[in-house]
Amino acid sequence: MTEAILQAQGLHKKFDEVYAVKGVSFDIKAGEIFSLLGPNGAGKTTTISMLSCLLTPTEGDAKVDGFSVTGEANQVKQAIGVVPQEIALYPTISAKENLQFWGRMYGLRGKHLQERVDATLDIAGLADRADGKVETFSGGMKRRINIAVGLLHNPKILFMDEPTVGIDPQSRRRILDTVQELNKLGLAVLNTTHYMEEAQELSDRIGIIDNGELIATGTLDELIKMVGEYDTVRLCLDVDGQKIEDVIEPLKSLPEVKQVSPGEDCVMIQVPDSENILGDMVGRVTQAGAHIRSLEIQEPNLEAVFLHLTGRALRD
Amino acid sequence: MKALTIAWKDTITRLRDWRAIVGFIVAPLAISAVIGLAFGGTFRAETAIQDIKLVIVNLDSGELGQVYSTVLTSDDLVDLFLITEMDDYEAALELVETGETRGVVYIPEDFSDELFANVSATDGSYNPVSVEVTTDPASSISPFIITSVVDQISVSINTLLLSGQVGVEQVLAYAAQLGPELAELANIVPGVIEQAATDPGANQLGLDVVQVGEAQQDISPFSYFAPSMAIFFLMFSMTDGARSILQEETRGTLPRLITTPTPFAEIILGKIGGTFLTGIIQFIVLVLASSLLFGLNWGPSPLALALLVLATVSASTGLGALISSITPTEAQAGIVGSSVTMVFAALGGNFALASALPDYLQIPSRLTINRWSLDGFVKLANDGRGLEGVLPEIGVLFVMAVVFFVLSVVLFQRRFVR
Ligand SMILES: Nc1ncnc2c1ncn2[C@@H]1O[C@H](COP(=O)(O)OP(=O)(O)OP(=O)(O)O)[C@@H](O)[C@H]1O
Ligand SMILES: [Mg+2]
Repeated sequence: MTEAILQAQGLHKKFDEVYAVKGVSFDIKAGEIFSLLGPNGAGKTTTISMLSCLLTPTEGDAKVDGFSVTGEANQVKQAIGVVPQEIALYPTISAKENLQFWGRMYGLRGKHLQERVDATLDIAGLADRADGKVETFSGGMKRRINIAVGLLHNPKILFMDEPTVGIDPQSRRRILDTVQELNKLGLAVLNTTHYMEEAQELSDRIGIIDNGELIATGTLDELIKMVGEYDTVRLCLDVDGQKIEDVIEPLKSLPEVKQVSPGEDCVMIQVPDSENILGDMVGRVTQAGAHIRSLEIQEPNLEAVFLHLTGRALRD
Repeated sequence: MKALTIAWKDTITRLRDWRAIVGFIVAPLAISAVIGLAFGGTFRAETAIQDIKLVIVNLDSGELGQVYSTVLTSDDLVDLFLITEMDDYEAALELVETGETRGVVYIPEDFSDELFANVSATDGSYNPVSVEVTTDPASSISPFIITSVVDQISVSINTLLLSGQVGVEQVLAYAAQLGPELAELANIVPGVIEQAATDPGANQLGLDVVQVGEAQQDISPFSYFAPSMAIFFLMFSMTDGARSILQEETRGTLPRLITTPTPFAEIILGKIGGTFLTGIIQFIVLVLASSLLFGLNWGPSPLALALLVLATVSASTGLGALISSITPTEAQAGIVGSSVTMVFAALGGNFALASALPDYLQIPSRLTINRWSLDGFVKLANDGRGLEGVLPEIGVLFVMAVVFFVLSVVLFQRRFVR
């Protein structure tokens, strides 16, 4: 088994009496892509901030490349590349000047700095826009430079906090491809996301985080096994909030139904074999006076895992 | 080293922003030029100055008082002054009040007697003897000419009496030669007149020219308002500069900087250093521009000027940093920064003479960077003083700088390293 490049042990972070992260432990092996998947406010950024020595853990510690984030911050900082959730660049100077500046902050100088700036501009696919001010860039281009900054000093592990939020599909595609290419060259990646597709596609292993706790860790297959043989039926109604409550009880009373989780105007129903009871379900809902707008059967996926573990949908 | 990189990045960013250039350099120059012109500023000194209306009230029972009218009405000065002689001092002062004359030279009754008594005094204890000069507070250049000429006459009287040539005849003969020399005065830009020639310190007989009324009248408006506006706008850019620390926090670049292997103190040092560098550049440009465009003389000592600029920029940078370190958000820092800048400017004399403030505001005024700095610049640019003259101002400003800087680094550290 390969050596772990990162080991988080019982990380806690308390903000004004409230714990944002409570006891997160996981390992990332060298050359692995690990995703922390969780909804808004789950504690992803707080966790990554503690691992980047930006926040001091209230309790617990982590080792990156063998160095402690609490005691050996400087060595840790040399080993990690950090890509913050928000674009952290200087908008009024050019992409190249940004990269040069950040490169110097990582201690790069002279010819080596120039080489790394050119290399990361290539990775970002923005060599031809090197002299353009960052403020004139599209969201996707900014994101790519934001990532390029994290790669300047050839880190051993790259931390990316929701790198694909709010950008167009092409840019997103490009970023995911780039990350996979870099990973093939040996770069370990810690990625956070609330897109299950992204976690599913990109990661070697996934940690599901909710309410500051890591509730499951494993490969995609391992996680899906946790839901067992259940299918998820997503049933959306043409009703106002009042009536969605009305259909929950009738659905729950069906013997095969394992779990019913209400959302805004949809319910998620977990059943062992959806095809056999679809008719019964539709009957109960119609009897309750509701109109079905759509009905979807989902193969077991991370969404279902999250639902299974928390009783809530990953997205509203 | 990395602090320098940060400072340089900030400076370059700011200098590329044309709005900043307008705000920090063009605006202060324009405003001081407008104020200078409104006051009939010194830049008109090159046009001929003539027919300055002046009243002489000579009540001296002896002969020496006559020297003043002899010299002032001599052929050489006939173009410069339009002299009227009067006996009623009160009435003469009234004329200045109403603007009918530019000034009054008053020689008291016992002028000659007192001076001669001083000459023959053996114990060296002199009674002060004064010629009183009252000038029109509304004009700027004529008071300077009048005082300079009267000063010059007084110095000559002093010198003659001291050299033993106590005869009135001799004094009058000598005074007659003064005319051509004094006539030159009008053609010289006032700021260039050798201070030594009119230095009251040379009046060893205790003969002194006392300027009555507006004590600050001899401050030329441009040499007051150019540094004044420079300080005012410097304070703006300094609070603005320090605010960029908070801007980097909201923008996320400060947290990102903390994740790089750069010590926190170096980050803050770089941020404050960038503001400082901008301030130095701003001030140097203002000094150069005002001397080249408006011929303003920033004083005889480049070293004193450099140190005073350094001290002023250091203190303002420190104050800006302190404000940012205690205000929760960038927006609030902006509001607090501008308010402090305005209050300090008003108290410190950037809009009107600080010495004209009521007594109860003198102490608050003395607590501002603006007051100390401005006093220093006036001493250099207007009074022609050297380094020694402004050492107290430089010292106080550096002490302020150190206090502000240390406090703000401590507070920033507490705030951002969690
Ligand atoms: N500096 C802070 N002070 C107080 N509370 C905070 C602070 N930072 C985060 N929190 C709280 O901690 C919890 C976790 O926040 P965090 O930003 O880590 O979540 P996240 O998973 O990154 O969410 P998102 O997907 O929205 O980025 C939230 O409830 C948040 O409000
Ligand atoms: Mg986050």
